[in-house]
Amino acid sequence: MTSNELPSLLDRRRMLAGAAALIAGAGAAAAQQPAPPAKGPRVWLDLDQKELDDAYDQSKYAPNIEQILGRYATSSDITRARLGAPQRVAYGPTPVEMLDIFRAHAANAPVMVFVHGGAWRTGSAKNYAFPAENFVHAGAHYVALDFTNVIESGGDLMPMIEQVRRAIAWVAKNAASFGGDPNRIYVSGHSSGGHLGGCALITDWQKDFGLPRDVIKGAVLACGMYDLKPVRLSARSNYVKFTDAVEDALSTQRHLDRLVTPLTVLHGTLDTPEFRRQTRDFAAAVKAAGKPIEFIIGNGYNHFEMMETLASPFGPFGRAALDRMKLAPA
Amino acid sequence: MAAGSTTAEAQQAGAARAKGPLVWLNMDQKELDDAYDQAVYAPNSEQIAKRRTVNSAAVRERLKPKRVAYGPTPVEMLDIYTTRQPNAPVMVFIHGGAWRAGSAKDNAESAELFVNAGAHFVVLDFINVMEAGGSLFPMVEQVRRAVAWVYKNASSFGGDPNRIYISGRSSGSHLGGVVLITDWQKDFGLPADLVKGALLSSGMYDLKPVRLSKRGAYVKFTDEMEAALSTQRHLDRINCPVILAHGTYETPEFQRQTRDFAAALKDAGKQVTLLVGVGYNHFEIPETMANPYGLLGRAVLGLMNLRAV
Repeated sequence: MTSNELPSLLDRRRMLAGAAALIAGAGAAAAQQPAPPAKGPRVWLDLDQKELDDAYDQSKYAPNIEQILGRYATSSDITRARLGAPQRVAYGPTPVEMLDIFRAHAANAPVMVFVHGGAWRTGSAKNYAFPAENFVHAGAHYVALDFTNVIESGGDLMPMIEQVRRAIAWVAKNAASFGGDPNRIYVSGHSSGGHLGGCALITDWQKDFGLPRDVIKGAVLACGMYDLKPVRLSARSNYVKFTDAVEDALSTQRHLDRLVTPLTVLHGTLDTPEFRRQTRDFAAAVKAAGKPIEFIIGNGYNHFEMMETLASPFGPFGRAALDRMKLAPA
Repeated sequence: MAAGSTTAEAQQAGAARAKGPLVWLNMDQKELDDAYDQAVYAPNSEQIAKRRTVNSAAVRERLKPKRVAYGPTPVEMLDIYTTRQPNAPVMVFIHGGAWRAGSAKDNAESAELFVNAGAHFVVLDFINVMEAGGSLFPMVEQVRRAVAWVYKNASSFGGDPNRIYISGRSSGSHLGGVVLITDWQKDFGLPADLVKGALLSSGMYDLKPVRLSKRGAYVKFTDEMEAALSTQRHLDRINCPVILAHGTYETPEFQRQTRDFAAALKDAGKQVTLLVGVGYNHFEIPETMANPYGLLGRAVLGLMNLRAV
């Protein structure tokens, strides 16, 4: 992947759209399918507003989004049918502050905490049960978090990150209650859950929770966002009420001094240009800061297909997660 | 829904033009042609084919298969991914590609599942129908000979000749079906129950509608070929448990072929399991065989009595 890829891809899309308009011809047909507007002022890197909006709109790059989200749900049903219903526990006072624990048989086992995605707007622990078997059979507990969404919290991302942090602290403090090893807690996340997982890594665990600074022993974040400036400039700001304080506090890449967790970041080659760039730039920044990071590219996977690979010990996301936990496939 | 809307578009296109004479069940020629053209129902076919290639390359890099000849012509080779366990069961995989394309090299993505679970994984190369001048017989003959080679030479790579299983996808499942109706005793002097179980996904088990479709343009079907290579017409020769699978996003004919074959096996009193992959298209469902917790991966490990999880 080169830095030239983004402009050439966008050029090609414009050319294809232009060709379609030419084929449509003059008159009524042309009115139905107008030529694309000339490129507008650049709002982020070399992207104009529409290009940036598209780069934060997964449906533009993953036409099978609904099909795959449906598979998350049906695969999660199958997982629950096989493993039994998870232990569902409250980590906080409001109804949404619950987490699902799929328990490994081994005693004092490591714990993988998963933070789901959904553009901060949607998603639930229920539909992210499907990776559980990969961890449970390899000897780790799998904990999927529920938390508020940005619509319910009036456009503010802070309540989500506050809950995710509190959920991780709950796991650390209560690991022994479900056979987990508090000294082997790992975090994974996908998409906006990759963003929230990144924020978890820059938490001041000592000051805010009285926990060890390195309470998270490793992290695996796929297809996430690590600097919110371009997101704020995109159409996502229609429903996320960004402020300078939110943008700064929740841009993990600006707080690398607080990063003490070895981590792996991934994206698919069919992720949007911005989702690829976010991961690539974050990996480079962490490396430049002298911190341990592994960067894996899933060749031929789009944003949602990458997530599915967490369920397999031999898929890019699932293999990276087991590697990070020093576990072998079952 | 991407694949769903493609199906809907195909149906809409069908409604927009006058329906022609029915050539198979309730389908006119275009509908039947489309039902044997995966691209019409799986818009991401190229993406997934590339993914299979790169994932296979990564697997080959990690596991380094042995490549062995099972016959005299250059294409008659097979790749063996060996497990460490001695006297281990063997899975023989028959690739798909509409009988026209595909190779052992690009169909290795499931190897780790088997090797890790304690089985050898053998992927076959064989001639394609274009090279064979439109006849399917040379492909079938080679695939059968390759399976016989595995039986006779299993101990040379630590395999147990009494635990040989086969799997296939798409046209490879057609060929796998034909393997199950082989007369091993008469043709090879081998035990009739040489194959101990089969997992066939997204295959074809009666060639009549295929012959009527546009695939007839490159496969030179004859009455003899259609009869001999329609597994569903030779159920009496099947003597092992069979798992069949298709995805809900497959073409109507690929769903029907599997459904009808499963029903016919059941009626004949054979051991058959039908798996339906909800939300998977023709190219996506085979990927689940690379995951021990995926639809096909779980099923195939169960079939081989490996690591019940």
